[in-house]
Amino acid sequence: MSALEIRDIHKRYGEVETLKGIDIALDSGEFLVLLGSSGCGKSTLLNIIAGLAEPSRGDVRIGKRSILGLHPKDRDIAMVFQSYALYPNMSVARNIGFGLEMRKVPAAEREAAVRETARLLQIENLLDRKPSQLSGGQRQRVAIGRALVRNPQVFLFDEPLSNLDAKLRMEMRTELKRLHQMLKTTVVYVTHDQIEAMTLATRIAVMRDGRIEQLGTPEEIYDRPATLYVAGFVGSPPMNILDAEVVDNALQVSGSHETLPLPADLKGTVPAGKRVKIGIRPEALRLTSADAAGVHIEVHVEVMELTGPELVTTAKLGNQRITACLPPRTRLRAGSEQLFSFDEAALHLFDPETGRSLLTA
Amino acid sequence: MPGIWITTRAWLLMLPLLVVMIAVIGWPLVDTVRLSFTDAKLVGTAGGFVGLNNYAKMLGGSNFQRALMTTTWFAVVSVAAEMVLGVLAALLLNQQFRGRTALRALMILPWALPTVVNATLWRLIYNPEYGALNAALTQIGLLDSYRSWLGEPASALTALIVADCWKNFPLVALIALAALQAVPRDITAAALVDGAGPFNRFRYVIMPYLAGPLLVALVLRTIEAFKVFDIIWVMTRGGPANSTRTLSILVYQEAFSFQRAGSGASLALIVTLLVTILAVAYAALLRKAAGAS
Repeated sequence: MSALEIRDIHKRYGEVETLKGIDIALDSGEFLVLLGSSGCGKSTLLNIIAGLAEPSRGDVRIGKRSILGLHPKDRDIAMVFQSYALYPNMSVARNIGFGLEMRKVPAAEREAAVRETARLLQIENLLDRKPSQLSGGQRQRVAIGRALVRNPQVFLFDEPLSNLDAKLRMEMRTELKRLHQMLKTTVVYVTHDQIEAMTLATRIAVMRDGRIEQLGTPEEIYDRPATLYVAGFVGSPPMNILDAEVVDNALQVSGSHETLPLPADLKGTVPAGKRVKIGIRPEALRLTSADAAGVHIEVHVEVMELTGPELVTTAKLGNQRITACLPPRTRLRAGSEQLFSFDEAALHLFDPETGRSLLTA
Repeated sequence: MPGIWITTRAWLLMLPLLVVMIAVIGWPLVDTVRLSFTDAKLVGTAGGFVGLNNYAKMLGGSNFQRALMTTTWFAVVSVAAEMVLGVLAALLLNQQFRGRTALRALMILPWALPTVVNATLWRLIYNPEYGALNAALTQIGLLDSYRSWLGEPASALTALIVADCWKNFPLVALIALAALQAVPRDITAAALVDGAGPFNRFRYVIMPYLAGPLLVALVLRTIEAFKVFDIIWVMTRGGPANSTRTLSILVYQEAFSFQRAGSGASLALIVTLLVTILAVAYAALLRKAAGAS
């Protein structure tokens, strides 16, 4: 039995269909990240789980029961909002305990639960303050505390870190991961940040235009992107996508004289002359010498950008651009001709018409 | 010395306004204070100095005390009703429904009408022979025979309060609606998930956002209601049997109907003082509320 099951959810606002059939089943303790750019329907889906919106079709189940039509408070869920949504007139303690107060939990029990939650989040010293006296990170902890204290079946997070600055965001990310490892709760987490998705999730659902583009573990999403969209969305810098054509069991990179080997399981199945998109992760590329192993390509170096941990190098392969993440101390000169290499297994192939991967098909 | 020049220029620019202000407000005020210490009539005698006699007579007289009671009752009841009605209307108009924009615009109408027009409309409604209220109440069986709502001391003040509420609750509703729209959507959603019912959501989540703006509305409306004159003058002229005679009406009668300029002036200054005390008290309250939030 799944902890949370989303079955064939559709949502229509007038003429516009924002969700076009979503199916996900989560085991207890899973951390699902709904990843996508704005307008893909991820927040709508979260609101449907929370009961803040109703689907036009489909079912949402927690445990054995359908929660559709139930009031948000009866769904055994808690939600953390992007804007924190703390009650400005109440102290931190009251904010955290408000859900329990509304459920008529006795004051003594409530206070103990609030104190325990505050201890967990290291905000015990802030309990008497008002939200306006807190920093962004502290507010976020209170918002998380308000969800934690009720100990619900499912936690819902709506872009909880996007109002924080970069440093705090990293801290809170680690904090969330720590909490999840400790409490082993079931989480649905909405974000447009692929790093958050990769680091936090046990599974990621990449959403686009009201559909799930790919559902899988972070490793699957990163190593075997099912579509061009996923390939481009996850990873920074994004995967290099090059136009190519199949020529007798090899790949001819358009606008260059490079030919690359066709992955073994595709030999004979893709007709010659078919146009394809090749994907290579920037971090799969190495600077190499002619006698080293792997697939070699000859490039013309254009720009090098040192980010600190790596040297992001943009080069031209024929008339197409390719980016490589090289070790920071790599000695390179702009304008020089260089040899890059990569493992054959690092090559992704996509159908340019459907956008789907030819490898997983 | 550019500093001095700026100061001089500022005063020069302000001068025309200052002159007008002194002429139309300052001088009459000073003259009212002077008059209040004399037994001057409106026409004829310039009057001699009588000290605090006017004040003593007015404050001790039963007319003043009754008018003060009437005014206070009028202000408290009408403002309280306006606040409740206004907030309820705002809560309704803040819901999503078809025709909301039209209703919002329509609601402003009573407030936008001149008081005299509103008062005349309500006189028609209350008319003892062909008024709509009488017709409606007899037709649904609540009333046996037509009554003179404005002609009976028992109902005249209440009838006035209803007419005043009708005109002024839209202002409260407008202010409350603006405040409601400032309540973040996430916060009401959070309260829903936290399990707060409609009443608790209003009390704990929405009310804190409403309190400040409502306090402003309360201040404005109380001071206005305390000074009420025009609606009463058009509808009842303070009658019947002085049952709707508020302080402003009393001042008018004293100074103009009875032509006693001296005692009228003292009464006017007493009312001014009362309103000032109200305003100062409210200002302190507002400052405190601002400090708290």
